[in-house]
Amino acid sequence: MLKAIGFTALMSLMIMVSTGNAGETYITGFMQGLYGGGLDADNPTESEMTASEARLQLRLESFSDAAEVFGRLDFVYDDYYQPSYDWELREGYVKFRLGNKIDFKIGRQIITWGTGDLIFINDLFAKDYRSFFSGRDDQYLKAPQNALRGAYYSPVGAFSLIFTPRFTPNRIPTGERLSYFSPLAGAIVGGEENYFEGRLPKAKFKNSEIAGRFSRYFGSIDAAVYFYRGFYKNPTGLDMVEMTAYYPRLYVYGASLRMPLLGGIGWLESGYYDSRDDSDGDNPLIPNSSLNSMIGFERQINSNLTANVQYQNEYMIDHDVYSANLPETMVEMDEVYQLMTTRLTQLLWMETVTVSAFGFYSPSEEDFYGRFSISYKYTDALTLAVGANIFDGNDEWTDFGAFKKNDNAYVKMTYGF
Amino acid sequence: MKMYRIFTVIAVVLMITTINVNAQDNQAEELMKKAHLALFYSADDGAAEVTMKIVNSKGKERLREFTMLRLDVEEGGRQDYYTYFKKPHDVSRLTFMVHKIPFETDNRWLYIPAVDLVKRISADDKNSSFVGSDFTYEDVSGRHWSEDQHTILREDKLGDRAVYVIESVPKEKYKGFARKVTYVDKGHFLPLKEEYYNKKDELERVFTAERVEEIEGIQTATLRKMENIRKKQYTTVEFTSIEYNLGMKESIFTERYLKNPPREFIK
Repeated sequence: MLKAIGFTALMSLMIMVSTGNAGETYITGFMQGLYGGGLDADNPTESEMTASEARLQLRLESFSDAAEVFGRLDFVYDDYYQPSYDWELREGYVKFRLGNKIDFKIGRQIITWGTGDLIFINDLFAKDYRSFFSGRDDQYLKAPQNALRGAYYSPVGAFSLIFTPRFTPNRIPTGERLSYFSPLAGAIVGGEENYFEGRLPKAKFKNSEIAGRFSRYFGSIDAAVYFYRGFYKNPTGLDMVEMTAYYPRLYVYGASLRMPLLGGIGWLESGYYDSRDDSDGDNPLIPNSSLNSMIGFERQINSNLTANVQYQNEYMIDHDVYSANLPETMVEMDEVYQLMTTRLTQLLWMETVTVSAFGFYSPSEEDFYGRFSISYKYTDALTLAVGANIFDGNDEWTDFGAFKKNDNAYVKMTYGF
Repeated sequence: MKMYRIFTVIAVVLMITTINVNAQDNQAEELMKKAHLALFYSADDGAAEVTMKIVNSKGKERLREFTMLRLDVEEGGRQDYYTYFKKPHDVSRLTFMVHKIPFETDNRWLYIPAVDLVKRISADDKNSSFVGSDFTYEDVSGRHWSEDQHTILREDKLGDRAVYVIESVPKEKYKGFARKVTYVDKGHFLPLKEEYYNKKDELERVFTAERVEEIEGIQTATLRKMENIRKKQYTTVEFTSIEYNLGMKESIFTERYLKNPPREFIK
């Protein structure tokens, strides 16, 4: 119902904008087939296919000098173990300028900020790890949020404020196509009986999300400070009474720097995660407050090869208190979580072929996640891609170890128009 | 004594030759500066619709369509570029911004709207291909004339146009070319042709201004071609809807407009 109202409203807006002004309207999009198979024989999911879907995306764009309306609508036919049709409004917003200094973007939108490459510290906007792990295009890593975004530009810097009335969590593997580690079951689980959803905070004003950023340039250095008031985006809290997972309250304060460095680009970002429901750090069922930092560097190796490296460090604030209150049955988390990543992108044949590898490795948790892909633009319209997602870990309860039965390889074909 | 006189004569002759060569060099550099300004710095700012056609050795074509904005912050010096991609579908709505600073590393930004991502790009290698074409980043924004040593080889005709033929050799070791021969039009100073030679003195790439038109009183190369001799492929770039002196401000070339294309210039 809500979807229908939103869709109708968007369409009418688009018609209004496109007919009311001497603006321009464009319709573009693509069709895509994605098929992925699991590489692990013992994955406890219903289907051995990690993806089998046909997708049509329509983009409608209409603008005049005063305002811009944009819609991106996906229709998906998914033949999981029973075929189903679905659609999602990926984006549907109106954007306008108010005077010289204020911009607004209102509606369903994808939001990103921060400096990391696939590491997010101050970016607490919704991500879609189900898409990310199963070979969908990069644009699906970000899940849309229904939000109101305002930005004020002054000579001192730019201030952005994003208000999301209804908390929008990350989309994480929940046992359908991808299995996950259940702390309640103490094992990697999947399949219909284990489909799981975290309990969302009630739809109240006080449960909305607010994110802010102030950014400015100092020469060629861009600096920013951030804040966030909302909830952990993954259901990291455990409710032992109702035997369910939920999203604990979270405030984040952070800062970042990004600059040209040694012929490349370097970045530095940090955020203090204030776990509001566990401010003393004595509740082992809720994440402890932490200081989350990263440093990264990217540069071209040669004209067609680009490489980057990142190091992330998450320091638990009250590890002693957490440790003292931890029941013996639960696994103790390290005081310091560390993650290293590297990305290599090689372009070939006049940039028609892209070979890409991205590796995440955590020396503290001893787990690994690798993303590999080769794509070939046969024509401007037609792209063929193959790829693989490989997980490994010594333990099942670590970030990537939890998905170690989801190794998959996929083929993807996209026709754009 | 006689020997001494001979030496003196030789020395004087050498000196005169050197002075002559220097004067010639200055004229060559002056011409290359004019050519550079005519091709890359026409008017104070400019906007154009660009159609790029990349044709490989098998004759297969790829098309890129984008709007390009340029603002000269300093004549012959700093420049800001803004590119808004329209085609093909996978880069449509993508924006790309460059702050060109001669003799320094450019600042480059890419905005990918589908993920709302502002990415800063390391711009160390100016000889990287521009969007998979035969043009490099440097071909698009120009190489400063003072980085090469120029010599006038001869005066000649190219088609029906009178030209200076000028040879340029990089002052410092440079991987873009070892030697470049430019055919500069005697009338409007646009480079009508450029031949790029590699270390082995083989002809690698040839640039040609295929069509020159007068737009708002400014002679403009509206169809440009870069041929890669070795790879047997070429790229053409056609500029249409060209407008000059639109009164663009530096504030257009910031992150704000990277994320929100200035619709007064981009349709």
